[in-house]
Amino acid sequence: MANTLEIKHLVKSFGDLEVIKDVSLTANQGDVICIIGSSGSGKSTLLRCINLLETPNSGEVWVNGELIKMGQDKKGQPCPTDHQQVDRIRTKLAMVFQSFNLWSHMTVLQNVIEAPVHVQKINKIEATKLGLELLTKVGITEKADQYPSNLSGGQQQRVAIARALAVKPDILLFDEPTSSLDPELVGEVLKVMKSLAEEGRTMIVVTHEMGFAKEVASKVIFLHQGRIEEQGSPSEIFNSPKSERLKQFLASNLEG
Amino acid sequence: MSSYYQMCEGLPGRESWLNFNLMCEKLPDLLKGVPLTIELVSISLLAGLFLALGIAMMRLSDNRLLNGFSRGYVFYFRGSPLLVQVFLLYYGLGQFEFVQQSFLWPFLREAYWCGILALTLNTGAYTAEIIRGGLQSVPYGQIESARAMGMSGLLLYRRIIFPIAFRQALPAYGNEMILMVKGTSLVSIITLMEITGIAKQIIAKYWTPVEIFLIAGLLYLVLNFLVTQLVKYLEIKFTPYLQHPK
Repeated sequence: MANTLEIKHLVKSFGDLEVIKDVSLTANQGDVICIIGSSGSGKSTLLRCINLLETPNSGEVWVNGELIKMGQDKKGQPCPTDHQQVDRIRTKLAMVFQSFNLWSHMTVLQNVIEAPVHVQKINKIEATKLGLELLTKVGITEKADQYPSNLSGGQQQRVAIARALAVKPDILLFDEPTSSLDPELVGEVLKVMKSLAEEGRTMIVVTHEMGFAKEVASKVIFLHQGRIEEQGSPSEIFNSPKSERLKQFLASNLEG
Repeated sequence: MSSYYQMCEGLPGRESWLNFNLMCEKLPDLLKGVPLTIELVSISLLAGLFLALGIAMMRLSDNRLLNGFSRGYVFYFRGSPLLVQVFLLYYGLGQFEFVQQSFLWPFLREAYWCGILALTLNTGAYTAEIIRGGLQSVPYGQIESARAMGMSGLLLYRRIIFPIAFRQALPAYGNEMILMVKGTSLVSIITLMEITGIAKQIIAKYWTPVEIFLIAGLLYLVLNFLVTQLVKYLEIKFTPYLQHPK
């Protein structure tokens, strides 16, 4: 069976600055891969290359055994050649952002059913039913008719997770989902993420929450200066780090 | 109606500090100008909105020619007085042979259409800038999350970008609507008998500028009060989350 997600030799640069240098990784059904590393190591960029919010300069992204077709635009810049394919694959790769990015003009429920109704053309009544189920799952049913700006950060992020789940994705991408939350709100979001991992969902999580990575990840990847410096099971990474850089990183991130 | 004029008879006339009698008597005449004022405002606002959409999209495009054209357009129509634009269109266009021979001449020789054209071109420039501001103020993160959910092209504009931009632009556009109501008074100069035009006609006959302009001003106030209420209603309807609880 094809791997759920496969990245081969991905390279991404912004101008002369090479941010991702030949990264390959594979995720199988049910994997929870945590990507850690100091800021500027390229973790978010790597994640954003998977759903083509950033266009990789070279390399391949395979989703469910399907290669995202890449070509070049008129100026010779790399770009996807089949935009419909990109839109379709993106609904298989739902993303949760650091700054939530809920649509401010829609209520919580409208946010959740937007993509199912208008992208996937699912009947609105059915989508609403699913939407309310998902809001129950993230524990936020009572806010269904509120607008995002009336919610706390933790609540907004839980809505964003429900919105991501609503398209029934095969893979969930989390881009530092707790980094802009107040410390006391981090727990509620991690709890929801943990329950998703327990359901056997495939997740790629860029995070600074070492505790979460330790407890939930099936595999941890340490990124340094755009390369995979070290990868392995949580116990390998956290208990017996090999590279000097990972040791330094863990020392400065695990204290306290 | 005769009972109305009888009532006016009872009010203090020329001997008083204001000729209330005349004000009362001429009110119905001035009211006859209100429909034309409303017509001028509505048609030019509507046409100007479509024009502005085009100009704003040109302004945001990468094409240098389109971009340059929209910059020049906005610069001219925002930078020169509406009154001058009205004069130029009304007196200027007829000087050109090709305009006189074109199929548009039956329209362009009419003060009414010249007035509407001037108002439309003028509000188009201001509104284009309002729309551009609205579009540019859509938070990039919200566009990105829509893309990540598989939205693109027209769907992305229709469901996310335009609705957010419209909400951002609403207060500024309310301002523009009010300016347009007042702007219509300028086309009285090319013989259009809207509120101000009728006022000037009455004043020429009775030489009572204060009385008549007071009523005219009052009528504009009432119209703009209605516009303000409309904008307020739209703001509450479309941006309930921005309304501060009392």
